[in-house]
Amino acid sequence: MAIEGIAKTALLGVEMGMTLVLVTVGLTLIFGMMDVINFAHGSLYMLGAYFGLTVVTVTGNWWAALLVAPLLVGLLGGLIEYLSIRPLYGRNPLYHILLTFGFAIMLHGLVTEIWGGQVQNIATPSLLEGSVDLVLFSYPLFRLFLLGVSIAVTAALWVAMRRSDFGIVMRASAHDSEMVDALGTDVKRVFTAVFVLGSILAGLAGVLLGTSRAVDPGMAASIIIQAFAIVVIGGLGSYRGAVVGAFVVGMLNAFGPTFAPQFTDALLYLLMAAVLLVKPAGLFGTPEGA
Amino acid sequence: MSVKDIVGRHFSARQQTDVLSGRVRVGLFVAGVVAVLFAPFAQAVHPFWMDLATHMFIFALFALSLDFVFGYAGLLSFGHAAMFGAGGYATALLIQNATTSALVVLPMAVLVGAAVAALIGWLSVSARGIYFAMLTLAFAQLFYTVVFNDIPAMLLGLEAVTNGDNGLVGITALTLFGVDTGSLMAYYYLSLAMLGGMLALVTRLANSPFGRVMQAIRENEDRVAFIGYDVDRYKIVAFTISGGMAGLAGGLWVPFNSTATTAMLHWTTSGELIVMTLLGGMGTLWGPIAGAFLVVFLEDSLSAIGNWEIYLGIVYIVIVIFAPRGLAGIFRTVRSNPDPRVLLSKARSALATYREKVFS
Repeated sequence: MAIEGIAKTALLGVEMGMTLVLVTVGLTLIFGMMDVINFAHGSLYMLGAYFGLTVVTVTGNWWAALLVAPLLVGLLGGLIEYLSIRPLYGRNPLYHILLTFGFAIMLHGLVTEIWGGQVQNIATPSLLEGSVDLVLFSYPLFRLFLLGVSIAVTAALWVAMRRSDFGIVMRASAHDSEMVDALGTDVKRVFTAVFVLGSILAGLAGVLLGTSRAVDPGMAASIIIQAFAIVVIGGLGSYRGAVVGAFVVGMLNAFGPTFAPQFTDALLYLLMAAVLLVKPAGLFGTPEGA
Repeated sequence: MSVKDIVGRHFSARQQTDVLSGRVRVGLFVAGVVAVLFAPFAQAVHPFWMDLATHMFIFALFALSLDFVFGYAGLLSFGHAAMFGAGGYATALLIQNATTSALVVLPMAVLVGAAVAALIGWLSVSARGIYFAMLTLAFAQLFYTVVFNDIPAMLLGLEAVTNGDNGLVGITALTLFGVDTGSLMAYYYLSLAMLGGMLALVTRLANSPFGRVMQAIRENEDRVAFIGYDVDRYKIVAFTISGGMAGLAGGLWVPFNSTATTAMLHWTTSGELIVMTLLGGMGTLWGPIAGAFLVVFLEDSLSAIGNWEIYLGIVYIVIVIFAPRGLAGIFRTVRSNPDPRVLLSKARSALATYREKVFS
């Protein structure tokens, strides 16, 4: 493989990894705080794509979709948390897997019913059409935009978690929610807020990836399983783990098809199983109960 | 956290009596007789009903296999598709290359399913709760990609073994004592017999000392370990038995459909199985069978009025929130409270609890 090819594939890997971060961060934050494994997270991502598709079709404005679709998904995520996950807090965490899987089934049916089963596409906004010459190779402008947005969101979230009051409450709740509750913060409200935040990010990823790739009812099932692998590899509940895990998987997805097309997916699950066996808390997680 | 609450409080609340009480056994016996008499009736009226019923029996057997580990040992497996697919592919390959005799093929499907389960179980049982679920998911997906990319063919230097995404097609019917089971009615009875036999076997196992230890592990595995039982070994054995049953279900499924496809191995199959088990009521044996019947029935009958997954999803979500013991739990409550006023007040208090948890 020539140097141009390697550089281009590496950039593709970074792009894939960073966009996956948008999906995995919500998943890992939700787990870290509430011990909830959210099987519906991939479905929220899918809904972001479909909402975006409809907004673009109706208004013809892609930027409106970028703004509206994630907010709608956030609202829906909030409702799901409020009406169905909330009553289950205190039960065995396995129940959340079981419950959210129900949402995954229902939303898959709903999306197929409303938008049909065929593969669709969100039209790229004219402002971001075309390619950019990057000396060694040219790269689609939209995908660079995608990369930029993902990095910006990841970094902003990182700073917010470290510096803002809400970020501090979030991290404290992940550490010991009972104590935070005792100190006068309504932890349940924090949970809902985090769930909404995670849903918004998933919806954002849906619009972006729905534009650069495709929109179809199978997108939820394929992203959620990758996101699980990433979150497990990085460490359930760890923000840094989710970012590093997504980066690793992005690279694997980019270089795999060239070097070992048959083993790319197998490697992902092998890695996931190996991490669970050797270090169940993941590369960056803290052991359960600590 | 113990797995106790997920399995339902009725087990700890009532005296530890035999699994499947006398009345339920009578009910199952009656259901079995009805099922035996149903086939000639369906043959005369609407033969498709037999097709649907056979589909139900096979998935009921599959759900039974999950209930054995999930309901009894408290192990939430998110990888049962691996054993289902392993049994199915073993059956397809045997029929294509060796023999169609059910007496050879089905035991092999059991063995292959059990072997895969033993391996996954051996590697996974030390993990608990969601980590066990995630591990079984990872291994099952690994298995899926191996079949999907036909890695066996690559390793063996053959042209095709699993035939990748296309799957194995044109699988002929099994023969039993020289009789072809290709007819709908023959396969109906074969599947029914397998389901009945396995239910009897699992009931015996659940009532045996081995089954008691499994239930104890579900309730509090640390305590069982302190008493001196090798908890991991019990779990592996339970998982292996369950895998053998899942393999048998896969082995029955493939000749029924004439194909072995990668969809059998996909994680969504494991998920659907969990839905069936939970909907019916885990840890009751008959509940998951009923759950499988219901899901297959809904899939068939609701397809006419729209996308059935929407309705299945809604029913399932409501069950998980309000009746975590599933249909079996609802049935039990109704049976023990013949007074409708008591039932109404129970439903009201459940709603009140929900409101309090949501809005407080």
